[in-house]
Amino acid sequence: MVTDMNGRRQFLGGLLATGLIPKLTWADAGSPSFLSAAAKPDGSHVLCGIGDNLQVLFQIPLPARGHAATAHPTKPEAVAFARRPGTFALVIDCVSGTQTARLDAPHGRHFYGHGTFSADGDLLFTTENDYDAGQGRIGVWDARQGYRRIDEWSSGGIGPHDIQNTPHRDTLVVANGGIDTHPDSGRAKLNIPTMRPNLAYVTSGGLIEVAELPRGHQKNSIRHLAVSDAGEVAFGMQWQDEQSAETLVGLHRLGAPVQLMSTPQDDVRKMNGYVGSIAFGKGGRTVVATSPRGGIVQFFDTVSQSHTQSTEFTDACGLAAHNMGLVVSSGTGELRQIDQNSISLSRNFDLAWDNHLVAIG
Amino acid sequence: MTRLLLTVALLMMPLWVQAQTRTEVIQTVVDDHILPGFSGLATQASRLAAAAKHDCNPASTALRTAYSQAFDAWVSVSHLRFGPTEFGNRAFALAFWPDSRGATPRSLNQLISSQDPIALSAASYAEASIAARGFYALEFLLYDETLMSAGDATYHCTLIQTITDDIASLTQAISDDWQSTYAAILTQPAADGTYRSDDEVLRELFNTLATGLEFTSETRLGRPLGTFDRPRPTRAEVWRSGRSTTHVMLSLEALQMIANHLAVRDPALSARLDQRFDRARMQLENLDDPVFATSADPQARLKIEVIQQSVDAIRTIVRDELGPTLGVAAGFNALDGD
Repeated sequence: MVTDMNGRRQFLGGLLATGLIPKLTWADAGSPSFLSAAAKPDGSHVLCGIGDNLQVLFQIPLPARGHAATAHPTKPEAVAFARRPGTFALVIDCVSGTQTARLDAPHGRHFYGHGTFSADGDLLFTTENDYDAGQGRIGVWDARQGYRRIDEWSSGGIGPHDIQNTPHRDTLVVANGGIDTHPDSGRAKLNIPTMRPNLAYVTSGGLIEVAELPRGHQKNSIRHLAVSDAGEVAFGMQWQDEQSAETLVGLHRLGAPVQLMSTPQDDVRKMNGYVGSIAFGKGGRTVVATSPRGGIVQFFDTVSQSHTQSTEFTDACGLAAHNMGLVVSSGTGELRQIDQNSISLSRNFDLAWDNHLVAIG
Repeated sequence: MTRLLLTVALLMMPLWVQAQTRTEVIQTVVDDHILPGFSGLATQASRLAAAAKHDCNPASTALRTAYSQAFDAWVSVSHLRFGPTEFGNRAFALAFWPDSRGATPRSLNQLISSQDPIALSAASYAEASIAARGFYALEFLLYDETLMSAGDATYHCTLIQTITDDIASLTQAISDDWQSTYAAILTQPAADGTYRSDDEVLRELFNTLATGLEFTSETRLGRPLGTFDRPRPTRAEVWRSGRSTTHVMLSLEALQMIANHLAVRDPALSARLDQRFDRARMQLENLDDPVFATSADPQARLKIEVIQQSVDAIRTIVRDELGPTLGVAAGFNALDGD
């Protein structure tokens, strides 16, 4: 089902047949810049590789609706997660389009749909729910041993969702959304009155810092993360209370208090209480957040820590930065590149892009 | 009789509402569904508190009947989870369920064994653990084999009376807020208001329908079903009081009513929704299993699965047809919630 069969791939096929296996890189998969799961018009699901020019380089079938994927830093290998409360993730060789390993959540755990690799690509970390205890966990899997599960750590909170690696150190940052769920009750939220989201930093299984939101923001579930080259963390939230949210985007640095992005009330309302994805713009000066519920993309300045502008974009959700600018994907099938706040490239596909667009490399 | 009236009302609706504007749709939902629902709940809850004052014996027929009627009234509005139900976590205090970690019996046991004075008045009980408040906590005190007779009899009686008083005051506050302010917030959206346009109000109402259906399918039906290999009949909602299927029925009736109001401008869609709701309700009526106990029987559980599939078929129509008809964004990602 790999749609792009280039000469290099056929050549590799020949090498594989002779037993001469070179070390494959992302170049062998056509050098995609992004990965995203998508739904096809017939209702089936695929994982797509997307190039710099926003062309789809490959489509690999998935057995169910995906949520996020994560890309191995060097090998052309992607891990696609089923959406919450999924219990499996698939490791996919993006050159051959085949599944090379399958991660099954251990008994009593389910995935939240996100994961990230260590900088060297040896380990994969996944956010998980220990649902009988109502505690968040980080599953540790060894990519060198066929993704064998080798350890499990505390996520430092309840309902961990996004997880990212921070640069220059092997510290993970986890968005503990604070919302307790149990698969026996579907997606029902069990603890809204007492929820306390946090950002937790974890190094080798040890919790090195837990940052909480200021008073009055406890019902702002921290869900999605972006990390700048300088190690600054931007987070997008989902509001769980009746009174409207003050803001849905914040910033954090290790050792410092959480900073919330000041946002005019009217612009907060346009987000409909819901951030779907978040990313840093080039250079880390700008933070961008999408809201599929509001059909809007919003921009924030990290220095003034405030909202700067909003752009309407129906069902916009996936968001990733790369050297050309920002790319936003939508459930309506559009991929849109935004440079300097204007649309520099847009393509439409007969695909519904799923929640997250993941940058490679 | 109620069911017959409901059916008649639903049949008559397209005759007089075809020309409704969006504003009128909202007005009708508020006047015919929301306000009478919450005011009826407050009335039943106050009767429940009076019944508990009169006789707090868990086996009292009068008390159990009053409990059942008040709980029915709650389930019939339990999908309306916005505005006054959410202020101060009122709805959670009325209805702490699902309780995946057994917090309700644990909290009640703690109160009873320590004879915690917090239960001496509804005012102080407002500070008690949410898991020990409301209809689901009361079910344990009235129907659970152990908890219905646990501890000191006088304290147990006081606890029942306090919980019913607390329910009465919570439901009265919700109804008062709807009458005094929130009805107008919905029917008169304003640039600086909670809702700025009819569109935003319709989206809220649409979400209550979609979320209500999701809860009935995934939680009310999904919990006892568990998986084929591991069915969980004792995870059914309120099985101790034998009310599990009643809750599914009441929720479907209430959701059918709001679906009909929302679909009123598209008679064909309205009829299709009706047909699907009727089918699900009929399947449920034909299920001779009030507490989903047969979920553990590989053959019989099929019938429960079929009901769940029928509710899911309604969800699909609501998402794919009603959403676009109402003009509320029903995007692939917008409805995902993750």
